[in-house]
Amino acid sequence: MTVLLFLIPITLLLSLGGLIAFMWCVKNKQYDDLDGASNRILFEDKINEKTKK
Amino acid sequence: MTKCLHCEANLDVNQQDFCCLGCEQAFNIINQNGFENYYKSRVLNPLETKLKPDSDINFNPQELVTFDEISKNYRLDLMIHGLHCGACVWLIENLLKKQNHIKQARVNLTQKTIQICWQGTIEDVHKIIKLVLDLGYKLFPIDLETIREFENRFDNTIFKALAVAGFGAGNIMLFSFALWFDTKLEISGATRKFLHLLSSLIALPVLIYSGRIFFISALQSIKARMPNMDIAISIAIFLASIVSLMQTFRGGEVIYFDSAVMLVFFLLIGRYLDLKARKKAFDIASRFSLIQTGFARLLYGSSSGFSNSLVPIKKLKKNDIILVASGEKIACDGVVIEGESKIDNSLITGESSPEKTSTNSQVFGGSINIESPIKVKITKTYAEGLLSQIISLINNIQYKKNIYIRIADQFSKYYTPAVHILAFITFCVWYFIAQSHWDYALMNATAVLIITCPCALALAIPITQTITIGNFLKHGIIFKNGDALEKINKIDCIVLDKTGTLTLGQPILKKVLKIANKQLLELDIEDQALVTKIASTLAQYSKHPLSQALSNASDQHFEVNKINEIKGEGIEGVINNKIAKLGSSEFCKINTKENLTKENLIFIEQAMNDCNSNLRCFLKFDDLEIIFLFGDSLKEGALDMINYFQKIDKKIILLSGDYENEVKKIAKTLNIKNFYWQKNPLQKAEILQQLRNQNISFAMVGDGLNDAPSLALSNVSISFSKAVDISQNIADIVISSSKLNPLIFIFKYSQKSLRVMKQNLALALIYNIIAVPFAMMGFVVPLLAAIAMSSSSLLVMINSLKMNSLKKI
Repeated sequence: MTVLLFLIPITLLLSLGGLIAFMWCVKNKQYDDLDGASNRILFEDKINEKTKK
Repeated sequence: MTKCLHCEANLDVNQQDFCCLGCEQAFNIINQNGFENYYKSRVLNPLETKLKPDSDINFNPQELVTFDEISKNYRLDLMIHGLHCGACVWLIENLLKKQNHIKQARVNLTQKTIQICWQGTIEDVHKIIKLVLDLGYKLFPIDLETIREFENRFDNTIFKALAVAGFGAGNIMLFSFALWFDTKLEISGATRKFLHLLSSLIALPVLIYSGRIFFISALQSIKARMPNMDIAISIAIFLASIVSLMQTFRGGEVIYFDSAVMLVFFLLIGRYLDLKARKKAFDIASRFSLIQTGFARLLYGSSSGFSNSLVPIKKLKKNDIILVASGEKIACDGVVIEGESKIDNSLITGESSPEKTSTNSQVFGGSINIESPIKVKITKTYAEGLLSQIISLINNIQYKKNIYIRIADQFSKYYTPAVHILAFITFCVWYFIAQSHWDYALMNATAVLIITCPCALALAIPITQTITIGNFLKHGIIFKNGDALEKINKIDCIVLDKTGTLTLGQPILKKVLKIANKQLLELDIEDQALVTKIASTLAQYSKHPLSQALSNASDQHFEVNKINEIKGEGIEGVINNKIAKLGSSEFCKINTKENLTKENLIFIEQAMNDCNSNLRCFLKFDDLEIIFLFGDSLKEGALDMINYFQKIDKKIILLSGDYENEVKKIAKTLNIKNFYWQKNPLQKAEILQQLRNQNISFAMVGDGLNDAPSLALSNVSISFSKAVDISQNIADIVISSSKLNPLIFIFKYSQKSLRVMKQNLALALIYNIIAVPFAMMGFVVPLLAAIAMSSSSLLVMINSLKMNSLKKI
């Protein structure tokens, strides 16, 4: 059971890290425009390099 | 019928690939920069503005640029119209980013705004804006007040609280799992205490942070003496925490932290769903509120030696002289000092027949100058004008409106005290009668509170409403909030505006007749098409409403030379080497006294009556003399809608600002018995106030500014997406279709949604009735509480999914 003494703090730290990352994203307004974000990634590589002057 | 490669407008016979130079230029820009995939990927939305480049902006972008000291960048935020899909976002962002000096370009597809940061000079803004305008998108200044109000109303507090609660619930359950299944208490005391301690360490901060929302709301409701669910929730959370803490420090067997945090988590989901639905509706509706951020062209001003510059409407003062070009909106109430024109007063009166104005006539802010430029001297500032008065009237009405108590709160009025009494009884029975230790009695009371906590209730209503509103949205109907969904089931009466609501609000071509041998004759189909084509060729060059009707009447046009419009009279041109004239009978030299006898004048009146027309114009082409008859016509689905509401016994009232004859005709066609005519906005409001005094609840359907006070007074207000901005802002429901059938759908589907909401309440009640006895008897261990809470929430969610099927509608 002493292994719990390691596992539990590690688990908590990991999930706490996840929570902090989430809070940072919200503060950074990343959740404000979900439509734009989802559409933007679909077009990453569609620029036609050949016809560019 | 080929379409323009860029904006997909229909092309004329003599046009190839593009409808105008602007589109051709846009096409070239896009291809030369390697973005041609845009055309393949985009999804054009017919409801959005067309992408035809029209680089007239009526504001000075330089005034809106800000400078960021830290990054040394200039920044500009604007609203953008014409965005349809991801392809537009991609195109604009990448085209802008390709320019050397632009550091950041970001399009917000949800709010339809664009943010550009660049290094260089402030004058660069004009080149940057031109890039976007050349592609066909329209740009507008952002209404900072709307954005700020939006951010205040829909801030991220609930979202963050939800995240923290989720974190807490998940982690505590990790420990609880071990403890739940330990029915024989085999886990050693030390480990148990350790796990309990950890749970409390996580739970307490989480409960304080996420539960804050409920505590604050509970305190407010106590102050307002209106008990709501949050009091019960707060008490439950508080007691559960205290009891669990005590158990932790005394080495007790069970704690309820997991239930408390899970409860908060589920409740916040319900709140968040509710908020999200309202946020989406607000987004859509407020995009149109540009009515207050216009600019006007000032010629001479008392403000400061400007001449001929663009000035925000709010800054205009009395005696300023502004120039209103044709097609522009008149900024404020004033007097015409130079020029003659026709004015479209539909914003104020709802009628789109233009009124003549000349020197010394009074004009109102908000109306549109149709024909030729006029100079107007301001008599009332924006704040004092008629428009503002109507807006203040509306704000006053909305403030005094009765607060609608939502169905969930009505339910909890009885539910909450009942639950508290039961908990109290539990405590007393255990403590006094069974003579157990006071903290054991308290724990059982807490169990009762937790298990009866309105988890299912708080989820049942928001989930049903969110699904319903989402489905409405797919059908082009925007519900601003869940209240409207509940209220619409209780109305007894429907009040309808006429022009723009029951009718299309614009003249359309009804009949084409030939004048020959002193008689009116009908034409066969080919000839009709031919003369309509001639007329519409000429009509393209005028902004008169009848011209609009004619241009729309024919897809094809002839080539025409020597176009000449004579204001107030007509248009003439040369088609196929013959002179064509379109306009009044005098202009076309169709001398009605010679060619038409008195009887035939009566024929014309008769013909107009038959096809429900009240406007006409003439065409003379070579020897042909033609008369075109126009009128307004009913929207599709009008009769069906009226029949439906009469069938379900709702009273129907027609309230119009139009003349008696017109209103009577429509009332007869639609079989409406109660109708009023020539009512201005204030009179309409008075009539509706009487309905309110009689305690009749009604829904108002309207579109113009003259309907706005009425919309504000009604229990449920419905407007259209082509309607005036204010009406859209006030209305509870906005329909983006030009048919009236959606009204029937709104009713039927809302009734279904109310049924499902009541079913969910019943389910929640049944679950409670079963669970409470167990809790009172002390059988509810944390595991059972968790299962009960989750399964009841799940059951309610599954029942709400019924809203997705449109059977029985």
